[in-house]
Parts: sequence; structure tokens; C-alpha cells
Amino acid sequence: MEMGRDLALLAPELTLAAAAMLMIVAEMFRAARLVLAIGLAGLTAATVMTLPMPSVDATVFGGTYRIDLISGWAKLILLPGTALSLLLVRAEIAGRPREGSVQSLVVLVTLGALMLSGAGDMMVVVIGVVLTGLGSFALVAWPRDDAATEAAMKYLVFGAVTGSVMIYGLTFWFGGTGSTLFSGLGQLQGQTLVTIAGLIAIIVGLGYKGSLVPFHFWAPDAYQGAPVSIAAYLSVITKAAAFFAFAQVLRDLPRDGGWPLALAVIAAATMTYGYLAALVQTNLVRLIAYSSVAQSGYFLMGIVALGASGFAVPGILVFAAAYVAMNLGAFAVVLLAGRDLDDLEGFGRTHPWLGAAMVVFLLSLTGIPPLFGFVGKFYLLSAAVEAGFLWLAIIGILNSVLALGVYLRLVVPMYRELRPGGTQGRGNPLTLAVVLVVLVATLFMGLAAGLLPGP
Amino acid sequence: MIWLALTLLAPFGAGLAALALRRVPEAIALTGAALGLAGAIALFAGVAGGAEVTATLPFLPDLPIRLVGSPLTATLALVVAAVAAMVLTYAAGYMARDPERPRFFGTMLMFVAAMQLLVLSGDWITLLAAWEMIGFASYLLIGFWHGREGVPGAATRAFLYTRTADLGLYLAAFLLIGIAGTSEISATLSTTGTPALIAGLLLLFAAMGKSAQVPMQDWLMRAMAGPTPVSALLHSATLVAAGAILLIRTAPMLPGGALLAIGIVGGATAVVTGLMALAATDLKRLLAASTASQYGLMLIAVGAGVPIAALLHLIAHAAIKSALFLGAGVFQHDRESTDLDTLAGAGRARPGIFAGFALAALALAGLPPLAAFYSKDAILAAALNSISAAWLLPLALAGSVLTGAYMGRALKVLWTGAAETPRDPVPLMAVGMGVLVALAATLGLVFKPLEAMLGAHLAEPGWVVPVMGLSVGLAGLALGWLLAPARLLGPLLAPARNGFPLAGGMDALVVRPALALARRCDRLDMWIIRRVVLGGIVAGAQSLSRRIERAEAGLLALVNAVGQLNLSLGQISLRTDRDTIDRAIFGLVDRTIALGSRARRLQSGFIHREMALTVAGIALVTGVLLAAPLYF
Repeated sequence: MEMGRDLALLAPELTLAAAAMLMIVAEMFRAARLVLAIGLAGLTAATVMTLPMPSVDATVFGGTYRIDLISGWAKLILLPGTALSLLLVRAEIAGRPREGSVQSLVVLVTLGALMLSGAGDMMVVVIGVVLTGLGSFALVAWPRDDAATEAAMKYLVFGAVTGSVMIYGLTFWFGGTGSTLFSGLGQLQGQTLVTIAGLIAIIVGLGYKGSLVPFHFWAPDAYQGAPVSIAAYLSVITKAAAFFAFAQVLRDLPRDGGWPLALAVIAAATMTYGYLAALVQTNLVRLIAYSSVAQSGYFLMGIVALGASGFAVPGILVFAAAYVAMNLGAFAVVLLAGRDLDDLEGFGRTHPWLGAAMVVFLLSLTGIPPLFGFVGKFYLLSAAVEAGFLWLAIIGILNSVLALGVYLRLVVPMYRELRPGGTQGRGNPLTLAVVLVVLVATLFMGLAAGLLPGP
Repeated sequence: MIWLALTLLAPFGAGLAALALRRVPEAIALTGAALGLAGAIALFAGVAGGAEVTATLPFLPDLPIRLVGSPLTATLALVVAAVAAMVLTYAAGYMARDPERPRFFGTMLMFVAAMQLLVLSGDWITLLAAWEMIGFASYLLIGFWHGREGVPGAATRAFLYTRTADLGLYLAAFLLIGIAGTSEISATLSTTGTPALIAGLLLLFAAMGKSAQVPMQDWLMRAMAGPTPVSALLHSATLVAAGAILLIRTAPMLPGGALLAIGIVGGATAVVTGLMALAATDLKRLLAASTASQYGLMLIAVGAGVPIAALLHLIAHAAIKSALFLGAGVFQHDRESTDLDTLAGAGRARPGIFAGFALAALALAGLPPLAAFYSKDAILAAALNSISAAWLLPLALAGSVLTGAYMGRALKVLWTGAAETPRDPVPLMAVGMGVLVALAATLGLVFKPLEAMLGAHLAEPGWVVPVMGLSVGLAGLALGWLLAPARLLGPLLAPARNGFPLAGGMDALVVRPALALARRCDRLDMWIIRRVVLGGIVAGAQSLSRRIERAEAGLLALVNAVGQLNLSLGQISLRTDRDTIDRAIFGLVDRTIALGSRARRLQSGFIHREMALTVAGIALVTGVLLAAPLYF
């Protein structure tokens, strides 16, 4: 009977897993359209099944997996985000060999992301990290050229090292509490060194996944080597999942261990380094990659405030939703415009609507009200202030000034005169549809933020 | 409520229409501006008795969007709508030959709508949103002719300067919301004590950026790169006014310390930018510096504790400065330049326009019975009666003398010199400017009823202040007309012409270090490798890289083994389709193995260095965590 309840609560995850398997079968018959259709259907079904669940607060399988506010909203954010990514993948590599494999890997990685978002146990976190990691390496390597191979290799090596550090460090927590459940972390009170060892494990393992400085080195290379749609997918889904996992782990840890301060330092370093490095990039994908590194710093502000501010969890969720929308949008425009900053030259003139959409995404990434990104940042900054980290909030605001400098480097050439011989032409309708969907979300979800969880 | 909506939505809707339809932008713009003006007039009439109209829309939980039509906000909305309507009329003539008119009028209307939102906002979040929108819209407008040299730079500079100052507004808003527990502006104004002082100083910082107060005045001079109607709008009732409006609206909360800081910043600006205006060699830059100077005078009034005087001067200045800019635009239209040498005698060629320009200039200098005579007297009286009179009065008087002096100089340049016949009549431009000049001349008459409506009473002027104001105005005009700036300024001329490089040193303080830091960050990898890693970490890094290779080999073996296992499972279940299975299900494994062999050939050689940095990061985190108990 217990088992039946657990399975019912897990319906979205099981649906997604089934869809992923079916996608692989369909790929055997080289039916790429069918693969896509199954994937979209599975994601839609899983989303619909989640809709009645956000109010549930339960655990399944002996407390190892949580069905709660965070994992519920994680599904509502990650599943539609994955569906949009699938469309981008289709738009970019339709008809190329192994298209279906890429699609099915994307869905499998999302399954891993859901594992991370609902983790109630150290082992589930490890499974989540491995499941998202292995799929991602293959996705990055898909183009089979030197750049992609090198990027994937780097990604893999980073993953291997940080993953082993994480597993090693987590054994200390297991030793300290006698259980792998996070709910038992309260017993660590007083065992300073054990707490620190496990914390370092979590910070390294999830920091790598969420591309926090100084575990971010793989990100720009991986995004640059991978197809643009895969870079878009990795930059939003696996990253958001890493921060959901952070929230699941650290909300049970006593706040007196000094970890909020350590994370605050990392947050400040991440956003500052990310934007400074973005300021001097000439490759558009690398620029957005560094900007997404900087966005991780904002995510981390919410983690820093966990347990000390009612804004923390809503902040992470709302910002994640906004981030998925606006970053996917920015990458989708890159997919249409080209991978180099020069490719944007005059883009806003030849494609006025897409140019305007890009401006909206970039302003939202900066955090200009009333766009969606502002609401998320507003919650996160409020959380940091309430938790007593005013200095971090100030650094966050200062960095948003820097962010504007970064994003203006994109906006300004977009509206310059078009060089002779510049690109013209219509975009792929699938990409345009994705841009439209995330544009509507970015523009109007900020005003409808009351629908999302609040403090 | 409906008038509130019309005031906001008419320019907004018209802006959207102009951008979307891309035809007859002038007609759309003028309709939108007229409807917006009608809405503002009706709103003003509705709240004239002292009533308040509010509209509340749901937004974030507990933080709804509020719009407030109070006597103060309705007055400001009316000023914005009236100036916008006239400037747009003028622009219909000025921009007649520009191929990009839809974009121009669309952006202008959006700008006006954003300004109305700012003026009417009743909560901090809406105010922040509007504040950002006007910043962005002004960026688009200043950069309107982005093809021309120097224009994108000027627009970016204006944006970055004002953005930096926005930091103050964000922090102040967070602080006030946090303390009052609500985002409603009127409710947060009851904040007292230290928080009020901090918030007041932060608000001052925000206002300094937007109103181009010393030392952040530089962007305003460069913002002249935009079309003249844009300057007229930015400088009179909108962008630059936002800073002063912010302080006027929050004045009830400001404690003595903040007031003194505001007064001194205002006074310093009035004098410094007044000198810059006097030294300027370009008519539009002269007017721009004068704008900053006049806003300095308004800040003196706020600092003296009489925000109503600042409001009156803001209204008078809105009409006067837009009229002056529109006049300058006509001269620019004739001579294709705004350089003062080129413009010599331009006024003589167009006596009608010159008369209007002169009337507005005399009004700004404070001659009775023109508008600024009353408002400037109110400011001088406020400074005289303030507890900080020793600081504020000399600065206010110096600012007033300089006002007369640079206006006198401008009039002289425009009038003396060779006249030439103007090329063509400019009816639309003349109408827009004429109405504003008429307002500049007569607005003084409505100040008394306006004071009554706002529930504020200025002290009776007596005779000292008017005499003082009139004499400094006349003295300034005479100095400006009779003496060349070189004689008047002496050694100050060169620094004033360069915009007081010390005071305008934002570039050196903020922009350049930020870029340098960015470049350094980009080279961080190389730098660390050369300077730090070579020292002693090299050995560690190398051993680490060997270890990584082993880890990699182990992982590959593991992956291989898993792959083999899965493959054999696959063989059992679907023996017939082995090849497909291999490719499809275990494409992942397949890829990873291929990857390993390929990467061995690649020898990127960088990973171990980055891993060394990662290890350094881990060490840092460990250090912070270990040291943390010391803080708690």
C-alpha cells in the first residue's frame, strides 16, 4: 500500500522515464519525428500530472526522494523548459545523423535533473549528478569535431574529479549521522570538521554542476563546442537543477556552521568574475556562457539565505523560472543570428521583432523591472538582505550595473547599419515559436508573479 | 481613475501604434499627446480640491502596483503632458525630412508614458520600473542618430552614468520597504531616525545621477548628440527632472543631515555647471550645463526645507528650458550647427524666434513678471530663511548671477553678427515654441493658486528678496552681455570648458578601472599560471594531472564495463538488432570511449591548470569554513 502511494506520487518521473525509453526504441527505427513527438508528449503529460501537486509535501521510498514545493515547482519549470529545448534541438540539427539520440539523451538528462531537484538523500544526489553528467558529456560531443571533443573531454574530466571529491566528502556526513538521509543532518550540530568535509563535497559537486566560480572552467568551452541548442539546454536545465539540489541539501543543515558566509563569498566571486569575463568576450556563445556563470551567483544568493528568510525558496524558484525563459530566449536568438558578436551586426534592423525580443531577454537578464528576471532578482536580493548579507545584495546590484555593460555590447551592434553582405533571411519556424513562448513569459510573467510561490 | 489611465495609456498606445503602423507617425503622436494632455488636465481638475485618486493593481503578493493622483502628482503629470505635447508639435516640423520618423515618434511617446508612470507611481516598485524605463528610453533617443560619429558612445555614457546612480534608488527603496513593510511611497515617508538619513543620502545619490549634479554632470553635456526635440524633452520635464521630482516627493521624510547634503550638492552644482555654461562654445552645451545649474538651484530649495519652491521652479524651468531648446533647434536648422561662432547673428535673421528665445532667456534670468522671477525668489527666500543660510544663500546668489551671465552671453552672440536670410518658414516649430514661450512668460500668475491647492504657503516675499533676486539677475545679464567669458572667468575658463575634469572624473574613477579589471580577469588564467603556479604549485599541478589521467582511465574502464554489461543484456533481449542497439541505446558509451581516444591525441594541456585553480578554490572555501566559527 505504501508502495502504491509512492508510485502515484512519482507518476511524473515515471512517465518521463517511460517516454525516454520509448524515444530510444523509436530512434532504433530512425524515426526522428516520432522520437520528438514521444518526447514532447511525455514532457507534457508529466507537466500536467504535476499541476495538482505543488501543495503536496511528502517523501517517497523511505524519505530518499522528496515531493515538495521545490521539487514540484522544479518539474513545472524544468519540464516545459526541456520541451522548448527539444524544439530548438530539432530546429538546429533536423535530418542530421543521430538526431533522435540527442533528443532522447536530453530527456534522460532532464530525468537526472528531476532526481537532483527532489533529492532527500545523498545517494540520490550522486545519482542525479551522474545521470545529468554522463548524458551531458555525450550531448556536448555530438558534433564530432575537435572543438566539441575537447570541450566534452574537459567537461568529463571536471565532472570526474569533482564527482569523486563529492562522493568522498559525503562519506563523512554518512559517518557523522549514520544515515544517508539529509533529514538527519541536524544531528551534525557540533561536529564541525565532519560538517565542513561534507559541505565541501556538496559545494564542489553541485558547484560544478551549477558552474560556480572556481568550478566553472568547463562551461564556456562546453557551450562553445556543443550545438547552440544543447548549450541553451545545459545552461538552463542542469544549472537550475543544481540549485534546487543545493536548496534540498542545505535547508536541513544548521546555519551556524559558517556555510552561509562561504557561499556568500562564492556568490560574490561568481557574479563579479562572470560579468567581468563576459565584458571582454567576442564570441557570442562564450559571452552568454560567462553571463550565465554570473547568473549562478544570483541563484546562490537565495541558497545563502536558506532558513533565514522567507524570500529564499520563492526567490530560487521564481528566478529559476525567469532564468529558464530568458536564457533559452537569448540562446534561441543566437541560434538564428550566429555564434559571433559580429553576426549580430545590424540584426535588429533586418529582424526587428527578433531584435526587440533579444533586447527584452537581455534587459530581463539584467533585472530591469517589470520583466520576469527583475521579480526573481528582487526576491533574491530581499532574501540576502533579510538574512543579514546586505553587502552581498550591494555587490549583486553593483553587478547588475556591470551586466548592463555586458548586454549593451550586444544591443548596440544589433541596431548599427547592416554591413554589405550581412545575413538576411527567415528563421526556422520552430525557433521562432520558442522565442515567442519565452518572450511572452519574460514579458508578462513578471506582472503575473502572484501566481508563483511567494514569501 | 479613468483620467489617470488616459494620462498614462494615451501616449503609450500611440507609441505602440506609431511603431507598429509605421505610417503617419506625426498624426498618431499628436493625437496621443493631445489625449494624454486632456487626461492630465481632467485629472488635475479632479484633484484640485485636494482629493486623491488611487488605482491598485495586483502584482507581487503584498506589493501591489499603485498609481496615485494627488495634487502634487497631478500637477507634475500636467507639466509633463503639456511640455510633451508642445515638443511633439515642434518635432513634427523638425523631423519632417527624417526617414526614421516612426521610430522617433514611437520612442518619444514611450518615453512620455514612462515619465507619466514615474510621476504618478504610488509605490516604490512601480517607481523603480518607470525610473529604469525612462533611462532606457532616453538611451534610445540620445542614440537616435546612431550612425553618426560619437553618438552611440554618448548614449552609452548617459545610460551607464545614470545606471550607476540608480544603485542609490534601489538600495533606498529596499531599505524603506524593509522598514515600513509596505512598498507604498506615502507610507514609507514616515520613516525616521538613522534609516531616514541613510535612505535620504541614497536618494540624493540617485537624484544626482539623473539630474546631472556634480560630480556626475558630464553625461548631460554629451547627451546633446540626440535630436533637439529630445534634448528639449529630456532637459525640461522628464529625464533630468526625475531626480528633483524624487527628492520633492520624498522631502517630508528627509532629516536635517540629508537636507544639508542636498542643499550643498545643489549649490555646488549651481555654481560649477553655471561656470561651465558660461565657458561653453556650443549653444546646446550651454543650455545643457544651464539645466544642471537650474536643478542645482532646485536642490538648494529642497535642502532649505521648502520643496514647494523647488516644484515651482521646476514648473517654470520646464516651460523656459524647452522653449530655449526649441529656439536653439531652429537656429541649428538654419546654420546646420550649434557652435556659438557659427550661430553669430542667427537671431537677427529670425527676429520672431529670437524674440521668443530672448523672452525665455530673460525669464530664466529672473526678470519680473516672467515665471522664474517668482520661483527664483521663492528659492532665494528659502535659502535666506534656512538654518543653513550661511551655506545656501551665497551659492544660490552665485547660481543666479551665473544664470543671468550665460543667458546674456547667448543673447549677445545670437544678436550680433551677420544676419542672413532664413531658408524656409517653420510654422509647426514656431507654434510649439510659441506656446511654451507664452507659458514661460505667464506661469508666474498661477503659482499662488497652485500653492493653495498643494496646501503649502510660502512666506510673503517682502521687498528684500525680490530686490536681491532682480539685482543679481540684471547684474548677470549685464556681465554676460558686456564681458567676454575669457575676461569674466580668467584662469577658470579652460577647466570650465573641459567640464572641470576633476569633478567630471567619473571616467577615471569608475569606467576605466572596471574595463581594466575586466581585461585582467580575462587574462587571469595566464597570469596565475605565470606568476603563481610557476612558484611551487607546478609540481602539485603536474601530479594532479597525472592523477586525473589515472582517474580518467579508471572512469573509462568503468564506463566500458558498464557498457559491456549493458551490451550483453542488449544482445540477450534483441540479438537481431545488435548494431542498432549499440548505436542507439549505448550511443552514450560509444561516444565516451571514442572521446577518450580522440582527446588523447588532442593534448589540450590546459585542463590541469584549471583544475589547479579549482583546487585553490576548494582550499579557499575550506579556509572560510574553518575560519567561520571565529565570526559567530
